[in-house]
Order: sequence, then C-alpha cells, then structure tokens
Amino acid sequence: MSALTVLAPHGDQFGAPTPGELFDLPPIIPGVDWFTKPVLLAILTSIVVIALCWGAFANPKIVPRGLQNVVEYGYMFVRDQVARPFLGKDADQWMGLLVSIFFVVLLWNFMGVIPVLQFPVASHIAFPIVLAGLIYILKIYLGMKHQGPLGYFKNMMFPPGLPKFIYVLLAPIEFLSNLIIAPFTHAVRLFANMFAGHMLLAFFSMVGFWFLFEKLTPLGAPVGVVGVVMTIVLTGFEMFIQFLQAFLFAMLAAMYIGNSLHAEH
Amino acid sequence: MSAQERRPETDGRDFADAMWSVPSYLLAGMAFYGGLGWLLDRWLDMSAFFPIGVILGVVLAGYLAYRKFGR
Repeated sequence: MSALTVLAPHGDQFGAPTPGELFDLPPIIPGVDWFTKPVLLAILTSIVVIALCWGAFANPKIVPRGLQNVVEYGYMFVRDQVARPFLGKDADQWMGLLVSIFFVVLLWNFMGVIPVLQFPVASHIAFPIVLAGLIYILKIYLGMKHQGPLGYFKNMMFPPGLPKFIYVLLAPIEFLSNLIIAPFTHAVRLFANMFAGHMLLAFFSMVGFWFLFEKLTPLGAPVGVVGVVMTIVLTGFEMFIQFLQAFLFAMLAAMYIGNSLHAEH
Repeated sequence: MSAQERRPETDGRDFADAMWSVPSYLLAGMAFYGGLGWLLDRWLDMSAFFPIGVILGVVLAGYLAYRKFGR
C-alpha cells in the first residue's frame, strides 16, 4: 500500500508508468527508426478517413443511405458548427480542408481509447505542430492575399477605434498574440490534452492490473477495484475530451482562416 | 449595432473570437512587457521592472481586449 510512489523501480513494488515508457516507443520494424506506433496509426487514420469519404461521396445519392448518411451527419456538423459561424458565405469553399482536419484529428484522438491500438497520435507533439503550422502558413498567406502584404499586418496590429498614442503600446501585444502565441497554443492545446489523458488512463489501468492480477492481496484488492472503476469512468470522460479537442482544433482553424479573409470590423 | 440587427451567426462568432483571443492577448501582454522589464532589470542590475512589466502588460492587454470585444 505504501508503494504508491511514482517512478518507483518496477520490481516488487507498484510503479506508475512513466512518460518515457508510455510515449518513447521502439520502432515497429527494427532498423527503421521513424516507423513507430503513432506513425503507423497516423497512416491508418488517413486511409480510414479517405476510405470513409470515398465510400460516402464517390457516388452520392439525393436521398442518402447507409454510409453516406452517417458521413453526411459529420459533414453537416462541421459545416454548421465550425465553418459557417466563422466563414459565413465562404464556408463551402473551405469545407474540404475543415472536414479533413476535423475527421483526422478526431480519429487520431479516438485511437487513444480503441482497444489494442490505444495510443492517441496527437500525444506526440510533432503531429499537432504539423497541422497547426499548416494552418499558420495558410493564415498568413490568405491574409497577405486578401488584405495586401502590408495591409494584413496593419489591420492586425492597428485595430481601428483606439486613441493614436496607445498603438505604440498595444501593437506589440497584437503581434505577439496573433503570430506567436496563437499558433503555439493551437498545437499545444491538442497535444497536452491527449498526453495528459493517455497518462491518466495508463496510470489507473496499471493500478487495476497491478493490485488485482500481479499482486492480489486483501488490502490491495479494493485499490485495484478503484483503479478499474476509474479507468472505465475516465475512458468515457476521455472520449468526450477527444471529441471536444478535435472540434476545437477545427474551429480555431476556421477562426484563423476567417480572420485572414476579412479584416476585423 | 442594435440588438434587433444582430444575427445569431455573427454573435456566436464574436463570442468565440473573444473567448479564444483574450487569453492569448493577456499572455502576449505579460510576455512582451514582462520581457522588457526583465531586460531593463538585467541592464540596470535591479529587480523591480520585471513585476512592473508583467502587471503593465496585463493591464494593457486587458484594455485592448476591452476595446475590441467589450462593446
């Protein structure tokens, strides 16, 4: 019971899983260093998303049935909740990108609770960085294209309706906020949620496994039961978070694109 | 814009805009002016400018957020 020390050496005592064990995975094929579990899952996810959209929309019917019906619900969710509030009449033009981002991130995240696979791809920060970086480049490109190379930065750093002298003080804040903090938090928000969620699930399932199977003792058994119950509860909670983060990631992408297309107010 | 002219779509957009922009403004304000204060401290061998900068940054960012989203 007193062995609940984090990072204890695995031997006779319970040791909580460490980030190194959970996230630093060996290559699947020895010698091919880049090909690890998250890479495999990312490839799988892409194939599944392409297959789903292909199956649903390759031969669309006016009255949708089966797969088309299901995927159309996802499409309409992204259109009504993500694209239209931020892009207005430009929404349809950006649906391809936003639907892809939403479904890919959603499946990346769900990989964390699908049995056997059980690894949220976005808990390796490289994956969210690539997506967020893509949106970042797109946002600056669109801003320069639609508001002029200088106009974009002028609109961003000097929002209308403020006293003249205060611009000197506020322009750096706008610059830092829009061009450095925003893309950074865009990626880190997804990464940190998935990382922490995976740690929590791994910890509680480890507690359950250890106290009920490895070292079954009268005193330890209740702890193990708590571990199992918490694993089940947190899995449900985690699925909600996974959906929420995918939604937020796509929503912020739509927001950045929308702000680049039209100068604020 | 009067209450009648508001459309729910643009309302939602403004709200979400504010919700996601304000924290990043506050962070940026603290980082920029706190950073300036930290540099001043290093230069003058003092320790007062860093906290002053952080607070100034939060106040300025709060003012910016208020003027942009507060109406």
